[in-house]
Amino acid sequence: MAAAAAAAAAAATGAGEAVTGEAATGQSMGKSSVQSIFFSLDYGPAPESPSTALAWLETQGPNLGHFVNGKWLKPDGQGTITCRDPSSGEFLANCFQAKNEDVALAVDVAKRTFEEWSQLSGATRAQHLIRLADAIHKHQKLLWTLESLASGRVVREIRDGDIPLAHQLLQYYACWAQTQEQALSGWQPIGVAVIVLPPTFSFIEMMWRVSPALAVGCTVVVLGSPTSVTSLLVAQLSEESGLPPGVLNVVMGATSLETLLPSLSGVVKISFCGTVEEGKALRKALAGSGADLSLNLGAESLMVITDTADLDSAVEGVVDAVWSDRSSGGLRLLVQMSEWERTLWRLKARMGGLRQGRSLDWGMDMGSPGTSAWEKAQSYIQEAQNQGAQVFQVGNASQKSPFFPPTLVLGLAPASPCTQREVPWPVVVISPFRTAKEALAMINGTPRGGNASVWSERITLALDLAYGVRMGTVWINSHGLKDAVAPVGGCKETGSSWHGGPDGLYEYLWPAGLLPRPVALPEAMDYNKFGLSAPPVLPSGPDTSPPSQTAPYGIFLAGRFQNPSSRSSRPILGSSGTVYAHVAEGGAKDIRTAVEAAHQAAALWVSQAPGKRVSMLWALADALSQRSQVLAEQLTEVMGVGITEAQTEVMLSIARLRAWGARVHAQGAGLHSAGHQGPFLRLREPLGVLAIICPEEWPLLAFVSLLSPALAHGNAVVMVPSGACPLPALQFCQDVASLLPPGLVNVVPGDRDHLTRCLALHQDVPALWYFGSAQGSQFVEWASAGNLKAIWVNGGQSRSWDQEPEGAGPELCLRAARTKTLWLSLGDI
Amino acid sequence: MAPQNQGTELDLTWISEVQVNQPAVLRRAEQIQTRRTMKKDWQAAWLLKAVTFIDLTTLSGDDTSSNVQRLCYKAKYPIREDLLKALDMQDIGITTAAVCVYPARVCDAVKALKDVGCKIPVASVATGFPAGQTHLKTRLEEIRLAVEDGAKEIDVVINRSLVLTGQWEVLYDEIRQFRKACGNAHLKTILATGELGSLTNVYKASMIAMMAGSDFIKTSTGKEAVNATFPVAIVMVRAIRDFFWKTGKKIGFKPAGGIRTAKDSLAWLSLIKEELGDEWLKPELFRIGASTLLSDIERQDKIHKRAIAQGQRNQSRKD
Repeated sequence: MAAAAAAAAAAATGAGEAVTGEAATGQSMGKSSVQSIFFSLDYGPAPESPSTALAWLETQGPNLGHFVNGKWLKPDGQGTITCRDPSSGEFLANCFQAKNEDVALAVDVAKRTFEEWSQLSGATRAQHLIRLADAIHKHQKLLWTLESLASGRVVREIRDGDIPLAHQLLQYYACWAQTQEQALSGWQPIGVAVIVLPPTFSFIEMMWRVSPALAVGCTVVVLGSPTSVTSLLVAQLSEESGLPPGVLNVVMGATSLETLLPSLSGVVKISFCGTVEEGKALRKALAGSGADLSLNLGAESLMVITDTADLDSAVEGVVDAVWSDRSSGGLRLLVQMSEWERTLWRLKARMGGLRQGRSLDWGMDMGSPGTSAWEKAQSYIQEAQNQGAQVFQVGNASQKSPFFPPTLVLGLAPASPCTQREVPWPVVVISPFRTAKEALAMINGTPRGGNASVWSERITLALDLAYGVRMGTVWINSHGLKDAVAPVGGCKETGSSWHGGPDGLYEYLWPAGLLPRPVALPEAMDYNKFGLSAPPVLPSGPDTSPPSQTAPYGIFLAGRFQNPSSRSSRPILGSSGTVYAHVAEGGAKDIRTAVEAAHQAAALWVSQAPGKRVSMLWALADALSQRSQVLAEQLTEVMGVGITEAQTEVMLSIARLRAWGARVHAQGAGLHSAGHQGPFLRLREPLGVLAIICPEEWPLLAFVSLLSPALAHGNAVVMVPSGACPLPALQFCQDVASLLPPGLVNVVPGDRDHLTRCLALHQDVPALWYFGSAQGSQFVEWASAGNLKAIWVNGGQSRSWDQEPEGAGPELCLRAARTKTLWLSLGDI
Repeated sequence: MAPQNQGTELDLTWISEVQVNQPAVLRRAEQIQTRRTMKKDWQAAWLLKAVTFIDLTTLSGDDTSSNVQRLCYKAKYPIREDLLKALDMQDIGITTAAVCVYPARVCDAVKALKDVGCKIPVASVATGFPAGQTHLKTRLEEIRLAVEDGAKEIDVVINRSLVLTGQWEVLYDEIRQFRKACGNAHLKTILATGELGSLTNVYKASMIAMMAGSDFIKTSTGKEAVNATFPVAIVMVRAIRDFFWKTGKKIGFKPAGGIRTAKDSLAWLSLIKEELGDEWLKPELFRIGASTLLSDIERQDKIHKRAIAQGQRNQSRKD
């Protein structure tokens, strides 16, 4: 590490062309510098002075502290890490490496401050945000020089991109705060939020998350790395702008979050951005801790160039995506075969014109994000070459230079392991496709779900591709547009957390009246054993139920009742303790069949008009009311509730179906304006196949309350009904069979732990809701790290399904679909 | 002077598949103006370079031999001698690239340039400038007369109605005839992009003009409501690049109209460097049509300051 930094320092004087220019031509070049430039027409240096940033660092003394409770915290005798300018290797500051007690202190302060901060009126908080925005505006030069110095990103991108966006974010969320009491009446702030920053882009990533958190009334502890010194400056500015001390705290240099866990007691929300591997490890480590973990992982982008694209503009899109310091990831580029040669020419020509050098130079396209990014890129290229890929670079990546040249990788065989790896900055991996259909399959075949751009001048094709890709953000004929109003997030391995727009806000909100789970150290648990196999079930006495009332026997798969693969049954005991009925015992194989059937149904269902969903849900409601008498009696017999209560449960279930049917058309999708960047659509798309493990209690109502929003939002479901009383759910399936397309709803009764295990570990299930034991929740959280499925678990807490906010509130709406931001481009006149 | 473009056969497939995405081009145009900056010596050198690309132009109803004469003198001596000396640039022989006048003033210009001993070409506008709405016969005759008078470059305007009605073959044939009428003179084709309706049309017209044998394609007459803009320029230089890739022929580019400030001229130079590369940064392939730009460049502080700084450096070296 030290050697690399020294190499960087040595190289900086030679490598960046801008660095050499002034010294060489200014003094030592004999005759006239103007004359030589006149003939060469080279670009000269256009340096921004680092003096403002250096002066600020100077005022901090020898070591940069943490910023906690409105003042600097500089614990004695602790180790420090050095923060350097990645493009020159020059020393910038020493940062403390936080220990658990520092984090615990910050969390403690944030917890105390939360009481007051969350009680302030929204309007008051809005004022605070606006004052912070003003402070950022007033000190923007200091901010952009410091951020550029510490991150190695070119200063122009920070001045023209990050700073205005930060300002816009604070203003946008101040608007939400101003109207919070009316606009967000069903919600409360979630509590103390910990935000873990990535080493690059730390300033703007912090603002994306801090702005909504502060707006709704959360207090924040930011965990930064030595490259994110700007976050300290923001904290200091917030203090100077009058934000109450303790609302925004920044702790530097914390190591892994896993080891910090003991000091996070009282934290409700953890928002993490980083790599996929880190995210998965964190997901596992935090399983069962109760913390609401938001993951934002990876940085790879994707781009499709069709044969109807404006190729020159598309190539500029590639520059925007990877070669202009606007993103910290690489690009997977799919090009239609007929345009292959023409695209390659243009790309190669364009790469030759890119300028790379010191980040504090106004004329540079790319800076240097530091040694680790350099090494990542180099290792990727080497592996690609070993696997037979060709690599095209302008200039060579040399160990002596901190600057990694723009790189094009082609000819990578589709099956080579390298294609699965995330493409690092500043690499573009280009591969051909034959038809749009094939392109779509290739895109949706990657584990990434972050963002993509689609290039075609044909509106039908462009929209088709944009709708078809499973990504958080899709741009049509542009790449990398951002706006505070436009939500950014994703699905699959990108993680399902959001920032920006209303979605960014809900990350820090919790349904009013419900208590968030407190964070605690997770219980030790043997994940390999949980629900590994269902305990054997044996006959346990005579079946006492009247034959007319028993539910049909079997597993409800692909639209009909089928024999369980286990070929065994489970007795359901009535409230009197005698066997009331036998239900089929589902197993791993049934789950696999169910998921497959659901996938097939989901693919067809998604193209249906929403009106179809309305009529379907209402038809189900009608059918359910036909059965109300039988169902009520069944509930009384098995659950031992009174007949009135049972009748209420049935009535409420019918009401749920009707209510969600009525909400089909109002799911919050809409067109928004982002000024001169053009409009964008915020879409709410189905999750696809949603697995639901229903709670033990309210066997009918909870089942229907979970099923209805799932169907209303266009999902196909695989459900595990209440273990104690799966009968009403199975009864209901008779109507499902006659009214719904096969496979849309699948119900698998059986051992809940075992079925939970099968579903949670299933790699093809994109989302799972779990309502059961604390242990089961912990397992689901742990297992979801496999394909980073979107999960919702209850942590063993019970819910009042008969109450409006808990049984049918906006939370269900939020969870039952995922957002997609689709940037349209217009402006041809 | 670069070899004349003899043109190619008309190939309509070169324009039929073109896609120009206007919002994307606008974004690129915005970027190109902010991504490169020249400071200090670089700015002075680039500004002096910009001078050598200027087609110093006067196109007014009240042009007479006297102001044409002044124009020609200015073309020969565009920058004050003392400034050039201080920058050590006095021996380079900086002149503008050409002077550009109405056909009736060509004789005056040729004579005036001869008198000051300047070898730069005289360019004449022609073909019913600026509207192009006269008979083809008179337009062709206009070219011949201007060439007879000694114009070495002819800036013709195209018939916009042919573009707007999609008569590409007719447009090709017309420019082809202009080419023939020019004889040995260079043909610079003005597309009047402000009146073509869309960027896609700008691309198509550029391609047709190059296929028909234009040595330069030029943005505007300076008389339309919208003149040389960066988005239009990006589309035109991309067409030039495509033409070069297809045929190996390098065609020149001339933005004209509305380029008034030194700062603008730097952005134009950097646009050419970025999109076409250094090979295009010579008067044979790049011109700026302007009348007042030169005086703004001469006024620039930067040139003065660098001149002073250079003078001091020279002084200290002598000591």
